[in-house]
Amino acid sequence: MHPRSDQDSSRRTFLLSSGGLLSSVWIAAQWPAIAAAAHHAEDVSAIAAPLGFEFLGAAEAADVAAIAAQIVPSGATPGAREAHAVYFIDRAMATFFAAWAADFRSGLVEFQAGFRANDPAAAAFAQTASDRQIAFLKTVDRSPFFETMRTLTVLGMFSSPKYGGNFRGIGWTMMGFADQHAFTPPFGYYDREYTGFVPYPRDEHS
Amino acid sequence: MRKFKPNETVDFVVVGSGAAGGVMARELSLAGFTVLVFEQGPRLGSADFEHDELKYFFLNGITVDPAVSPQSFRKTSDAEAKRTAGMQPAQYARLVGGSSNHFTANFWRFHEIDFNERSVLGAIPGTGFADWPISYQELEPYYTKVEWEVGVSGLGGASPFDPPRSKPYPMPPLPVKSSGVLLERGGRKLGLHPFPAPMAIASQPFRDRPGCIHCGFCMGFGCEARAKSSALYTMIPEAEATGRCEIRSSSYVYHVAINAAGRATGVHYFDADKRQHFQKASAVVLSANGAETARLLLNSSSARFPEGLANSSGLVGKYLMYNQGAQAYAAFEHELNEYKSVQVTRVIHDFYRADPRRGFYGGGGIDGRINPQPAIWAMTTGGNLPRWGAELKTRIEAFPRSMVCAGHTTSLPLASNGVSIDPTLKDAWGIPAIRITYKDHPDDLAFARFLQDRQVEIMEAAGAQKVWRDDVDELEAGVHLLGTCRMGNDPAASVVDKYHRSHDVRNLFLCDGSSFVTSGRGQPTMTIQALAFRAADHIGQFAKRNEI
Repeated sequence: MHPRSDQDSSRRTFLLSSGGLLSSVWIAAQWPAIAAAAHHAEDVSAIAAPLGFEFLGAAEAADVAAIAAQIVPSGATPGAREAHAVYFIDRAMATFFAAWAADFRSGLVEFQAGFRANDPAAAAFAQTASDRQIAFLKTVDRSPFFETMRTLTVLGMFSSPKYGGNFRGIGWTMMGFADQHAFTPPFGYYDREYTGFVPYPRDEHS
Repeated sequence: MRKFKPNETVDFVVVGSGAAGGVMARELSLAGFTVLVFEQGPRLGSADFEHDELKYFFLNGITVDPAVSPQSFRKTSDAEAKRTAGMQPAQYARLVGGSSNHFTANFWRFHEIDFNERSVLGAIPGTGFADWPISYQELEPYYTKVEWEVGVSGLGGASPFDPPRSKPYPMPPLPVKSSGVLLERGGRKLGLHPFPAPMAIASQPFRDRPGCIHCGFCMGFGCEARAKSSALYTMIPEAEATGRCEIRSSSYVYHVAINAAGRATGVHYFDADKRQHFQKASAVVLSANGAETARLLLNSSSARFPEGLANSSGLVGKYLMYNQGAQAYAAFEHELNEYKSVQVTRVIHDFYRADPRRGFYGGGGIDGRINPQPAIWAMTTGGNLPRWGAELKTRIEAFPRSMVCAGHTTSLPLASNGVSIDPTLKDAWGIPAIRITYKDHPDDLAFARFLQDRQVEIMEAAGAQKVWRDDVDELEAGVHLLGTCRMGNDPAASVVDKYHRSHDVRNLFLCDGSSFVTSGRGQPTMTIQALAFRAADHIGQFAKRNEI
């Protein structure tokens, strides 16, 4: 694990929507690079059902699950909760994103403290009514911790199930992605009716 | 594959096995020379590549790993450069075949205007805007060579803006996707001229490779089917088959050696176990990419070349160009299923040429596609819309009905942008790291925004139910690493001559994105490979005439 020289800013600077081909495609999220840990993730994927949390305490897991469930809510179709995003996040912090774990935890502690300060009479975030959760999240949804939660929730819903989330491919099913190795045309509705490329008149742009 | 002995002097050392290095290896070995190619990364094969977004976009599956090869970034030279995590300011793939493994494989030729735009438009004050020392006509045979030797699918003459070509494409275009149909529908309605995308992906069996199986995992992924025309599957095995070429993978060149006469004698490198070695060569070719080639030169300074090897002009590392661009997103009534098959099947070049009447410089191309794949789409689909909750979920659920209309645009060459050596940061081998300084010229941003407006119009004309967009911001990272050792006739204003020979060292050649004088319109690899075929042709002739 390498020390980062810019503990406070660059790490927290997401380039997700900074325009241009690269940002939208290359997702310059601030992930530490621990390629070897991916192999660990593959190993643990053999476990059919989560056996509990490696990194998160029970109360932490409940709050993380509740935040994730607001980022991609359940409803007529599954959300982060049904996709087991919290198990992905726990595994990520314990293994392949371990370099982030300390910052993640301090962000979570800060989040919980902020929630209590905002409403001293309230129970834990996870035990609070959904509309009040949303109201509070709107006050912190520009924070680095929330950005991290958003990224992790999305990855936990839509990455390969071998990383511990996207339980039984539920995220892929929800979004209409078919996990197949090969396809044949037509691929969609509009190319089915396409009748062929019609050349332009030769002299149009001489 | 040939294995050279430790003390053997090879005719050519080529540093880098990617788009340019692969061509160099093949062409020089076919011409009868012994060639030793160094590649920092490992040798992987098609069976090693996976459909795994997390691995390739977040865990540096094949890309440069900032934990061991750090870089730093600053916008301007008066700012402190900071070490970067995640995507690197000079992002590239590190394995045999280089970034040609994970590229999208858009293979547009440059147009005539790309080579003489300075003469046509005049100077742009405060920039290094210049003509190339070669013309499109000089490069045309080599574009054709790329199409036929590397393998490009397309429809010659389909675009009224296409430059002249001497031969049709060797393979027909890939099957159109719904994004292509819609781009074409919207474009034609507006009087534009969409055309089948030229792609370095086999649309049908080509030589010993199968045609595309339409798995959809192109951009950012190595091809599991060997249909993508990566150097790994094309140039590299053909070079090895000559019996004169060795690909030495997991071998990291960090220094080019020079003798008292000012000639390159070989390269110093680390093997996979970090042991240091010296490889002797009669000539050295750097094709390490627009960031690493410049870094290697700057790290090879000596008493004779105190500012870096081949840097008497002071331009090594300068004029870095990333290519700007912007996205428009659109959702339609019916399913497109853009996650299937190659990224792009239709392109629009109506806005390729700069138009001074706009009040700013810039040109570009537009295509239809989607951001790969489910997780990346879910993360990036926001644009400037609410980024969580029910609205995010609605957009995620619209994935099969959605597409991206992408713009790819110019970056002006600025002396203030570039690759330099970080004064303190070192990599895991103790070698000084890349420092990138980059801030877009205002015209680059203005044109990207202009083109984005056109992209929105096209999606609306195509009948989209909803269109939204990203903000166009200054770039802080890039995968197009262009211009850092620009070519030119004047040794005071360029690093290499028109044959890619460094002005300062007779037997040192530089050929990759670093050679670019201007940025093109956002799809550089075709031109990188055409330049490499041309350079190898001339370098081989020089060698045979004993002119190296």
